[in-house]
Amino acid sequence: MLLNAIVIVLRETLEAGILMSVLLTVGRQLEIQGRWFAVALIAGIAGSFLYARYLGAISQWFDYAGQEVVNALLQYSLYWCLVVICVLSFNWQKLPLPSSRHVMATFLGISVVLACVREGSEIMIFFLGYLTDRDVMVKAMTSGFVGLMIGVSVGALCYYIIMMQRKPISRIIQLSLMMLVAGGMVIQATQLLVQVDWLPSTEPVWNTSFFLSESSIIGQLVYAIFGYEASPTQIEALMYIGSLLLIPVIVIGVHYFLKSRRVSSELT
Amino acid sequence: MIKNKVILQSRWVSTLRFCVFTVLMNAVSIGAVWAAPTFTLEIKNHLFYPAEIVIPANTKVRLRVINRDDTPEEFESYELNREKVILGNSQTVIFVGPLPPGEYPFFGEFNISTAQGKIIAR
Repeated sequence: MLLNAIVIVLRETLEAGILMSVLLTVGRQLEIQGRWFAVALIAGIAGSFLYARYLGAISQWFDYAGQEVVNALLQYSLYWCLVVICVLSFNWQKLPLPSSRHVMATFLGISVVLACVREGSEIMIFFLGYLTDRDVMVKAMTSGFVGLMIGVSVGALCYYIIMMQRKPISRIIQLSLMMLVAGGMVIQATQLLVQVDWLPSTEPVWNTSFFLSESSIIGQLVYAIFGYEASPTQIEALMYIGSLLLIPVIVIGVHYFLKSRRVSSELT
Repeated sequence: MIKNKVILQSRWVSTLRFCVFTVLMNAVSIGAVWAAPTFTLEIKNHLFYPAEIVIPANTKVRLRVINRDDTPEEFESYELNREKVILGNSQTVIFVGPLPPGEYPFFGEFNISTAQGKIIAR
């Protein structure tokens, strides 16, 4: 078996799988009906295939910056989708139910599609490279399937651990995980734009490699899920901290806005 | 009165044109002076050539990566915080640095057992 194929598929599946499991728990607890997850997953897989198929042309855009720009766009979009989901989830009791359910289902679905396209395209590219060699392709697919199953199992474990908690605790876990994943999306997207010189690059502002190296297994896991960077540049650190702080500000801001609107409507 | 207004407008337009032209010319000249030095890295038979690249420390450089293989490769480095897919028989550009003096390993994620290299900042 190709160990490399297991590692690549597992890494990408973990990144998307843990986020998807959290989104599934949100959907389940808020009683979002319908086949939003199945539809989004199929759309995401189709999207990742299309992205992988046209990556050659996309990569050449903007003087070879196309790949980074599109990926950064996907990740920044995912950040904003997660912000909306956090806002809706936190203020669920104060929102009109039928319309909120549709909005929530839409944002949950878009998030799954974006996560799938971003991570799935890399797996597709890896396997498309073996198309000409049938023997290696079979081995790679078998190994990839093992990686996929490990990733799915971790996602399922994460789903059941969250679902087993009491509602207030599971709500805290969901919001914290979504916040951290969203922050990770921003730092990764920012790093991509630095990579193609669209954002300024500086020397790292700190280096925590001595504490947790990115090449270690835990370091890779934390990078895959939360976008851990041992040595971020100035703009990466600023964007990460800013994006993390922005979420509670927006969530609590909307909470007080809805509360004040409710009080004023009760008075009138 | 109308004639004066037209003259005033045309003066404004020509001044604006001059300003835009000056800004553009300055941007081009600054870009030319500050253009990052380019280094080329090739991938052949799942190996990096050269496997070691020496670049100036504390300077941003433009790394041109050419994949001569038929299969795709992913240039990746934890130390450089870089990650990019390069399809078979194609090329790409990655900006690196400014880096403090030191050694920065990189690898090809799709062929990690063979595709290894490092950037040395001096």
